Amino acid sequence: MGNKQTIFTAQQLDAYQDCTYFTRKEILRLFYRYRDLAPQLVPLDYTNQPDVKLPYELIGSMPELKDNPFRQRIAEVFSEDGEGNMTLDDFLDMFSVLSEMAPRDLKAYYAFKIYDFNNDDFICKSDLEKTLNKLTRNELTEDEVRMVCEKVIDEADLDNDGRLSLEDFQHMIVRAPDFLSTFHIRI
Amino acid sequence: MVFVTCKDTVTGRACCVVLCTTEEQNLVKELVGLSTRDRIRAIRGLSMSFKEKKHIRLVLSHYVSLIIKQYNTNNQVLIQWSCFKLFSQSFRRCGYSIKSARQTLKLWQSIMKEIGGRFGTSVLSYFVFLKWLLMFNIFSFLVNFGFITIPLLVYDPSPNIPPNVSFTGLEMLTGAGYFTYTIMYYGGYSNETLVGLVKYDMKLAYFFTIAVYMVLCGIALIFSMASSFKKNYVLADPTSNSAWQLLSSWDFSITNERAVRQRKNNLRVQIQESLSDKAQRQLLTLSEKLKHLGVYLGFWLLSTSLVVGCGVSIYYLYAANWSLLQEAETLLVPFVVSLMNLVVPLLYSLFNKFEHYSSHRRQIYALVVRNILLKMSILAVLCYYWMNVVAKKFSCWESVVGQALYRLVIVDFLFLMLGSFFGEFLSNVIGTRLIPRLGVPEFDVARNVLELIYAQSLAWIGIYFSPLLPAIQILKLFILFYLKKVSLTQNCQPPRRTARAAQMQTIFIALLFFPFFVGSLSIVAYTAWRLTPSEQCGPFRGLNSTFSVVGVWMDDLHEIPGSQWVIWIYENIIKSEIFYFLMTLIIIDTYIAIENKPFMNCG
Repeated sequence: MGNKQTIFTAQQLDAYQDCTYFTRKEILRLFYRYRDLAPQLVPLDYTNQPDVKLPYELIGSMPELKDNPFRQRIAEVFSEDGEGNMTLDDFLDMFSVLSEMAPRDLKAYYAFKIYDFNNDDFICKSDLEKTLNKLTRNELTEDEVRMVCEKVIDEADLDNDGRLSLEDFQHMIVRAPDFLSTFHIRI
Repeated sequence: MVFVTCKDTVTGRACCVVLCTTEEQNLVKELVGLSTRDRIRAIRGLSMSFKEKKHIRLVLSHYVSLIIKQYNTNNQVLIQWSCFKLFSQSFRRCGYSIKSARQTLKLWQSIMKEIGGRFGTSVLSYFVFLKWLLMFNIFSFLVNFGFITIPLLVYDPSPNIPPNVSFTGLEMLTGAGYFTYTIMYYGGYSNETLVGLVKYDMKLAYFFTIAVYMVLCGIALIFSMASSFKKNYVLADPTSNSAWQLLSSWDFSITNERAVRQRKNNLRVQIQESLSDKAQRQLLTLSEKLKHLGVYLGFWLLSTSLVVGCGVSIYYLYAANWSLLQEAETLLVPFVVSLMNLVVPLLYSLFNKFEHYSSHRRQIYALVVRNILLKMSILAVLCYYWMNVVAKKFSCWESVVGQALYRLVIVDFLFLMLGSFFGEFLSNVIGTRLIPRLGVPEFDVARNVLELIYAQSLAWIGIYFSPLLPAIQILKLFILFYLKKVSLTQNCQPPRRTARAAQMQTIFIALLFFPFFVGSLSIVAYTAWRLTPSEQCGPFRGLNSTFSVVGVWMDDLHEIPGSQWVIWIYENIIKSEIFYFLMTLIIIDTYIAIENKPFMNCG
């Protein structure tokens, strides 16, 4: 159905449509966006599933991501190798979770992983400090940073272990009505 | 470990799919029991990497077919199952391609992305709302034009205009004169049954088109409100302010470097303010609280008296100045109405600066409530005048009301353009050159959205009296989009405070529905039920009320055999009060059901 295209097989497109929130047209459009980052690396024929990874520098230079303070963490969280080098699957997955159709729980899970800088499945004080510094261009004093992080842990830490677990984070997100519209990148 | 032997559908090779962990096994067992649609939704919502999701999907499809194979050794059933699977797969592909096709019609996609990237989600919500209203009007125009106007044009293409009336340019503004006798207004439509390829009863067509359109609008609004409410309206926890600010307030969709820098600055200022705020909040003494209360009450009294003053003055202006002959003078009332709609909200914004609110959100709510009171009372006064005085005074009164609405819509548009100029351009000039302390203005989303809602309710009231009014509204909204976009990018800066955009969106839809749509619907319903249609013109001439058209049709149907079921429906359902009671119950039940639909868990 629709236009003939030779990039993916019908089964591949079906799998993409079933596993992401994108339609066929959007998937093809995103493929071209991916390819535009490095036309010499990305083949036009994905039917035999080539193993192509784009380095983080190219991903981070996309106009949708280049000014985002968390672009490195986003790329690291969604990439297979954890370094930010993304395959097409990772690329589609990333923008699918960040699209407006993804549900709150899924977004909360990935937001948690993004803010968890040291990948220990908890958002501890150092993670919060790093987040705050990224968001305020390092212009707050150390005292202020410490006070804000302590306040955040006070407010959101429900099991009183001094750091935020995924449940604490999700509990807080449920009460943040704007999360769905702010954790959203348009592509 | 569980081994499942199957064939890889992509490469055709036989492969061994291994379910390693019990978690995965449990997940697959859980997903197998769901319907296909729910299964796909569950797979999409899994918090795993893409590779794992594809793996689960593959395993699921093979597991499902394995279960079926084990369960049915009967070949017949197996063939039926494969046929069913193929059918459902192609049905799903068809659904996806329809969704894709709908996206080609997406208007203004790139402009909205640019606005969202520079100004954030809260400002973008205004433009999203405008586009949504545009869709309502396009649908209305197509329906009205297709079912009411085209049959008339086909049957009788030339309007019967009296000989001494000719087209002058002034009609575009006043809607009177030449236009009075055309299909633009109610009066231009005939009440006959047009005999052509089929017998087309104009009365029934007019009545049912408008009734069905209003009902569909209402349903669409209720559903949007319910889904928006479910998604966005969460009772915000006031104690988790810092956590919210740090972890979920950053707008990821901002892509402009300067905007990002500004946001970071604003966030820093907000954090510093909130750190010092806590110390200051305890310092409010009783006398200060009383002073604030006094100031609130004073300004509320002032706003209410302004509203009452506006209403009364419009009524007297109308009552004193109604003259059909002097066409230019008829523009006076729309002019005054739009002037009030422009000036008084600006006054309210000014009042806001002198009042102290404990939170930014309360400030916006107070502003919104005052603006709504103003617009509703203006509309109420106008409708009261039309229903009670105009309906009894003129021979073809529906066309007269239609013209009044046309003028209101046009003049409102001109004033919206002026409002852009005063609200944004002048504020920019004042803020940058004359009083630098004020700074570059921000885009006032609440005020602009209320203006849109007011314009839309004018269009909704006007559908009955002027079926082609939606065409004017479409043009108006289209031009307004580009106007506001240019004004925004040239004159405004991104909002300093991250307002709770999602909640505001829900509130706007609720406002659109509750006072304004319900009000317009009641005005149209009152006209159809209680007021006598005019004798000389229009599709309902000679009848006691518009609604009696249905009664007459029912009487006619008695003679046609085979249509007893329609008469039965009319007698037993539409005419009985139980029907409306049941409808209300159904609506409330659907609302509650949508609210309580369980979320899919992840992780």
